[in-house]
This record gives sequence, structure tokens and C-alpha cells, in this order.
Amino acid sequence: MSVILSAIVWTPTLFAVIALFLPERDEEERGRVRTIAVVGAGISFLVTTLFAVLGQIVLAAGGGLAGAYQENHAWFWNFLFRAYYDLTADGMTLPLLVVTTTVFGCAIFHSWKIHERVRLYVILVLLLETAVNGVLCSADFVLFAVFWGLLLVPMYLLIRVWGGPGARRASAWFAGFHTLSFVMIVATVAIIIVAAGNSSSAMTADLKTFSVAAETAGFWLSFAAFGIAMAIFPLHTWMVEAQSKASPGVAAILSGTMLMLGAYGMMRISLVVFPSAAHYYSFAITGLAVVGAFWGSIGAVRQDELRRFIAYMNVAQMSMVLLAIGAQTSVALVGAILLLAAHGFASAMLTLVSGAVEERTRTTSIRAMGGLVAQAPRLAGFWLVAAFSVIGFPALAGFTADFMVFAGSFPAHRIATVLVMASVIITTGGLLWVANRVFFGPPRDQFVRVPDVSFLDLTVLIPLVGAVLLFGIRAGAIVPVISNGVLEITTRIASG
Amino acid sequence: MNLTPLWLALLPETSLVVAAAVSAIVSLALPQLRPGIHRWIACLGLVISLAACGLVLLSLRHVLSGVAITVSNGGFVVDSFALFIAILACVTALVTCLISDTAVRRIPSRMSAFYALVLVATAAAEAIAAQRDMVTFFIALTLLLVSLVALGALVKTDPRGGVSSFEHLVEGIVGTAAALYGLVLLYGVTGSTDLAAVARAAGAAPGAVALGVGLLLLGLCATLGIFPLRQWVGRVASSVPAGAAGFILAMSLIGGGAALARVTVSGFGPGVGIWRWLVPIIAAVALAHASLNALRETTISRLLAQLVSAQAAMLLLGLIAFTTGSRALPAYGMTAFLAALGVTAIATVAAFGVLAMLQVAGIGDAIGDLRGLAHRSAPAALMLTIAIATLAGVPPLAGFLSRVLLIASATDTHYGWLAIVAIASTLLTIIAAIRCVGLFYAEAGSEAPFTLGATPVISRVVAGAACLAGVVLVVLIQPLLAVATAGAGPLR
Repeated sequence: MSVILSAIVWTPTLFAVIALFLPERDEEERGRVRTIAVVGAGISFLVTTLFAVLGQIVLAAGGGLAGAYQENHAWFWNFLFRAYYDLTADGMTLPLLVVTTTVFGCAIFHSWKIHERVRLYVILVLLLETAVNGVLCSADFVLFAVFWGLLLVPMYLLIRVWGGPGARRASAWFAGFHTLSFVMIVATVAIIIVAAGNSSSAMTADLKTFSVAAETAGFWLSFAAFGIAMAIFPLHTWMVEAQSKASPGVAAILSGTMLMLGAYGMMRISLVVFPSAAHYYSFAITGLAVVGAFWGSIGAVRQDELRRFIAYMNVAQMSMVLLAIGAQTSVALVGAILLLAAHGFASAMLTLVSGAVEERTRTTSIRAMGGLVAQAPRLAGFWLVAAFSVIGFPALAGFTADFMVFAGSFPAHRIATVLVMASVIITTGGLLWVANRVFFGPPRDQFVRVPDVSFLDLTVLIPLVGAVLLFGIRAGAIVPVISNGVLEITTRIASG
Repeated sequence: MNLTPLWLALLPETSLVVAAAVSAIVSLALPQLRPGIHRWIACLGLVISLAACGLVLLSLRHVLSGVAITVSNGGFVVDSFALFIAILACVTALVTCLISDTAVRRIPSRMSAFYALVLVATAAAEAIAAQRDMVTFFIALTLLLVSLVALGALVKTDPRGGVSSFEHLVEGIVGTAAALYGLVLLYGVTGSTDLAAVARAAGAAPGAVALGVGLLLLGLCATLGIFPLRQWVGRVASSVPAGAAGFILAMSLIGGGAALARVTVSGFGPGVGIWRWLVPIIAAVALAHASLNALRETTISRLLAQLVSAQAAMLLLGLIAFTTGSRALPAYGMTAFLAALGVTAIATVAAFGVLAMLQVAGIGDAIGDLRGLAHRSAPAALMLTIAIATLAGVPPLAGFLSRVLLIASATDTHYGWLAIVAIASTLLTIIAAIRCVGLFYAEAGSEAPFTLGATPVISRVVAGAACLAGVVLVVLIQPLLAVATAGAGPLR
């Protein structure tokens, strides 16, 4: 029995437990704690990378969820239904696992900028990594809900304890929205298992037919739950608060991985389990996507805070994913997964760069910044790479993703696709406007002594740049793998 | 046919009563002995009781009915349900004996009485689970109430403790009086003290049966600690020393849960329809009441009390899901009920055990006093976090899993609306717990760090292990479910 997926999911927790017993009285001991955390996240990353390379070979050869790597143990069975400790990674999961382990690795490296309560910080980040990887790998509904619930407390504490002014309110928003999301997922799972009369909570089990009422209720409950996590309009307010008030490392995790989980859950559960309702309400979904795209892009250009700007960009980006989910075509869904990966890297990079900029300029106001390229050219370079990826610049990760989302969505919802494409113009303008305001223009006296990126910044940002380039240049190799995973969704929708 | 000798079937209860008597005699005859001896006498009694339960279970391994012995024309039954409750009660009492050392040290002259009352209350809870006769059932219920009230009054360290115990007594008496009136009415209708006879006579006098059932359920709500007779829960939690308060709440939960299961599922069954719409209403109101109150609490002990009360109300979801479910299979409501009862009882003594350690360290009861707890004592913060999270149903801990089982059972037996209320209640309790836990890890005030060193090592280890049960039982939920399914067997 393979334990690769368990290693990816549980290694961070194992190292969190080790870190729990390490002292942190001085900087040397804190360094030891960070090193242990880096080893934990690093092992998870390395195993994932190895697994992704091997998985690419296997999955490209054919087979859906069942053909992927799988670990299956009965969890409990003396009940209405059997639940399994069932971890599976298919073509949808693999690229996203690469994103999460990369972003978490970067966030752990970023802990060298944290000097207070380092041990608690790394423990929470590692627990969060277990939860995120667990959600991605779960092939059992109850296990999925358990991992989803595990996200709640670590992220709440990470926002609250290490956030800036206003973090308490932001963490309360996060807790409120995510608890709501979580209970809706529990309700969805109850509907899936009980209303459908399933004897198993495995995602791979044959899903029974629902009544129209159960299917509608299940679909909208799961859609709202994942919509909250995905921060789609109008459920995005928690994310704007959290993104702007959390510490940069935590905000990078939030925008790089948490939003992705919402979209992943929507595709894995809302579309697969409730295909008829998903198809029936596709017009409403794309309508939300259009409104969200404009709300996000116009909202972004109205912001004066750098990280609030990124938060609204996230809303716009997730609206593009939502458009693909509404379109429900194979090409659009493959594009959506690729976009999630690209967004994960780019958004994490934008957040970390903005954190570095704020740290150097001691302001969060875009209007108060300017001319930083003279003092910090490499920092400006990182921002531009991330921005270009978001815009969909060729050879970067976002290009293929954007292209596939629009090409796949157009046949299903032409007007909505054109409208969302139009919103990209505003997004592009916004990103370039911010780059211009922050980095270009005449140098300002107060920023004359601003240092360029440090070695630590490079350690955190270079892997993300590498990933953005890899996913852009090697998209041709990644798309067949994702297509393989998406096959299950499109088959279900076609048969549902 | 009785497969187990009578002496063995009665050994779980008698060993406890004998141990209590030995402790009292030793206290009177040999007052010069160190007071700590009483704890070990109590532990020995509990271990013997556990061993006796194990032996009876061993004799039951090939018995499909799950009934070991029936005496007094079915009035007293030792079956796998009674054994499950007995084991749970013993484990809870054992944990209490091992963690309440510091609370009892303050009252060395009353140490013997404390442990004797713990044993008697445990025996009473065990006896309740084995009763199907109205008279002995009521006596066991009253014995449980009296011993728990006396326990609370015994360990009081300030006048508030005495007042809260008096209030517990008053509310408990109202509850037992209601239960007594209910039982009398049911006896009047059926002419029999057998609880199962009520179902047969339900059609003869539906009004009287409905009133009797309603009064009985009202009385048992007081024992279980749920709305409408639940004021004592918060008072005891905040006024009685935490080690004893945890035991009082947990044993009430076990005794009340066992009583409700015996009366409703085993006694009334599907034949008496009234309880099957009364219990969901009580559950819905109790869930809403406790979870909304949890959001308002400003002291940690009362917050824990509200969470215990909410979890107790949640247990009712399993109780009503005892019939055939939507898939024409026997419903697993009682399995979920017993599993959740086990998780909640252990989490309750664990949470109050940690609170006891904080009390010994001189930490105040206000939630604000726990600000920055993680700075000041990381182990205390971690243990309390796990215990609160388990009680509140915060995922992925065992409390959450037990709620999932209860909600799934209720949904399966067409109580979808109640499942929605339960989910909403869970939302509120999770928010209340997260808000409190968030404070533990927030920036510290000017308070100095402290250690739990004043609490003996064994108490710390046992409290830590009880807290960890909330994590371990997520992985090992199957063994718990297997035992709970066996325990639920005679009731299904």
C-alpha cells in the first residue's frame, strides 16, 4: 500500500509535533524551530514534486480518479454508512498539490521575518498545510469535511495573532464566514449520504440519484460553502479584510491556497455530485461570475491599500474560475484548474512582494509610494512577473489558463464570456497602474535608503517565479494530466 | 435464561458501594491514616467494578440479545447497554479521582466522604442504566441527585458553593418531583411498575399517558442538564471547585442519558408516540438556548457548562433516531447516542480537570483572565483548547465527529428540520469556542507566566490524557462505535 499521499498530508503535522517540544528562548532556538518547520514543509514539497513527475507519467496514460494514486483504509463502519481514510490524487489534484506545498514552503521561509512566538507560528502553518493537502487528497466526504474543518482554527489564529491593526476584526470575519462554510459542507455531506441513501461516504462510490429538492438543496449549500471559501461576489468581504490585515506570509497562504480550495471543492463536489442542478443553474453561476469580475476589477482600482488591491484582484480572478465552472465544458474546467495553479503562485508572490514593499516603505498606501524601482529594481521585477502572470502574459502560467477558460466558456455562455473578458482589461489596467504608482515615477526622498530584496526574500520569491515559468512554459505537459482528472466531472455532467 | 451468575452481574455496583463503605469505616476507625488512602480505595473499587463489567461482557460475547441477566421479573436487567454505561461511569469516576486531588486536599477531613460520594453516584448511574422498573428507577435517580448535590456542597470552598448546591438541589427536586408525578400517572394508567407496560396501555388513556410522559421527560431534563431545568448546570460549574464540578456534570449527563434511553427507547418504544414529538421539540429549544447562551458567557466555567448542555441536548438526536431509517435498516441513532455520550463525558471531566489546575495556579475564572494563556503556560492552553474544541464540536476533533453521527442519524430518520437546528447550534458553539480560544493565543497582558507544578504529576498526566482522547478518538472512532453498537443492541 502506497503511503506517498499520507506522507504529503501528515509530514507537516509530524514536524509540528516535533516543533511543539522545542524551546524558543533565544534567536538560536527560534532558528532551530524554523529549521524543523522548513524540513517538514520541504519533505512534503519534495515528495509532492516527485509524485507529480511520476503521476504525470501515469495519469497521462489514462484513467480517472480510480486510476490515480490511492490509499484506502476503512475508517469506521459500525454505522449508517462506511467512512474511509481514502486519499487520492488525480489530474486535478496533482498540480494544486504542487502549488500548496510550494506556497507553504515559502510561507515557512517567511517565518524568518517573524520574531515573536515563532514556534506557535510554524506549528499553525504546518497544521494548516496538513489541512489544505488533506482537503485536496480526500476521496471520502466525511474525511473531506474533517480536513476542511481543520482549516478553521489555525487560520483564525494566524490572522489574529500575527496580523496588523484590525486583525482581530479580520479574524472574526474569517471565523464567522468559514464556520458557516463548514457547517454548510457538513449539511451537504449529510444530504449526500442520507438523502441519497448511500451506504458509503466514499467519493468514488456510485452516487445514487437524488430527489429534485435534495439535489437543489445540496447544490446550493455546497455552492455557497465553497463560494465563501473562494471569496466570490458577494461572499468576499472576509477575504478582503483578512488579506489586508494578516501578516504577509499568512496572507500569501490565504490568497495562494485557501481560495483555490473553494474552487476545487466546487468542482469536486458541487459539479460531480449534483450535476443536474449545476447544469440547470449554470446561467446563475455565470451571472455571478460576470458581476464578480467587474466588482473585483473595479473595486481593485478604487483601492489605496496595496493588499486590499490584491484582495479585489483575487475576487476578479476567482470570477474567471467561476465562469469556467458555469460553462462546465472540458476545456474551461482544465483552464480553471490551471488558472487556480497560476493564481496560487502569482497571488502569493504579489502578496509577499507587497509585504516586502510595506516593510520597506512603512506605509500601505499606494498613493504614498513611488519610484521604488531605482532602489529596489529586483523587487519591482518580481511584482511585474506576478502581475504579468495574472494578466495572462505569454510564457507565464496565467496565459494558457486564461486562454483555455475563455475558449472553453465562450461556446456555453458567449455574452458572459465577453463581459468577463472585458473586465480583464480593467484588471490589466489596475495592475499596471499600481506598478506605475509604486515602482515607477520620480524617486521619493523618503525612500532613498530603501534596500532591494534580501537573501530571504529571494529564497521565498524565486521558487514562485520558477513555478510561474514552469507552468507557463510546460503547460503542454500539464494540460493532459489535468484533462484526465476533469474527465470525471464532464462525464458526470454529461450523464447527469 | 440467565447466563451470568447474579453475584457477578451485581458486582459492578456492589464493588462501588463496598468501597464507599470501606472508605467510610477506615475514616472512622483509623483517622490517623493519611487522607490520600481514600483515593486509592476508591480507585480500587472502580477498577474492580470495571473488571466485573469486563467479565460480564466476556460471558456475553456469544449472546445475540446482549442480555446477561434479568431479575425481578425484568425490572433489573444487566445487558450490554447497562454495561456500556457502567464502564463509562467508572472511567469518568476514575479520571475524576485521579485529577481532583488538589481540590480534595483543601478538605482533608472530608476526603473520605468525597470519594464515597463519587462511588455512590457512580453506582447510582450504573443502576439507572439497568432499571426497567419505575420504583427502583426513581430510587436510583434520586440517589444520583442526592449524592451529586452532597458532593458539590462537600467540596465548597466559599459560600457560593453551598448556595449553588442548594439551587442544584431545588432544581433537582423539582425535576424528580415531575418525574415522580409522571411515573405515578403512568402507573395509574397501566397498573404496573414496568416501564414497558406503558406502550401496551398507551391507547387506553392517551391523555394521561401524554401527561405522564411529558412530566417524566421534564424531570429527566433536569438530570441531563438541558432546558428548561438547567440553571443548576451553570451555577455548579462556576461555584463548585472545578474537579468536582466536572464530575457532577459528567455523571449527570451519563445518568440522565441512560435514564432517558431506558425510559424512552427501551420503555416507551415506538408504541408511545407522544415522546417522539416531545423530545425533538425539547432538543431544538435546548440546543438553541444553550448555544445562544454560550455566545454570551464571560466566564470560562459557565462557557464550559453551556457547551456541555448543548452537547447534552445534541444527544437527543440519537435518541429519537432509534427506529428504522430511510434505508429500511435498523437506525444507528443509539450507536451515535452512546458514542457521543462517551466522548462528551470524557471531554467534560478533561475540561474541568484543566480548569482545576488553573484554579490551583490562581488563575481567575473570567475569560479575560485567560488572555495570553499560551504565553503563560503553553501546556494549559493546549489542553484547554482541545477540551473546549471537543465539547463545542470544532473539527476535526471527536466532538465534531460525534455530532456528525448524531446529525446523520436524525436526518436518516426524517428529522431533517432538527438536523438543521443542530447544525445551526454547532455553528454558534464553534464560534463561541473559537472566540475563547483566540484569546488564549492573543497577546499577553502584564500577567506573569505560571506553571502547573502545584498540581500533582498524576493529575496533570491524567487530565492531559483525557484531553488527548478528543484527538485520539477521531482515529479510533471505529472501536468506540463497535462498543457503542454492542451497547445499543438491546435497545434497538
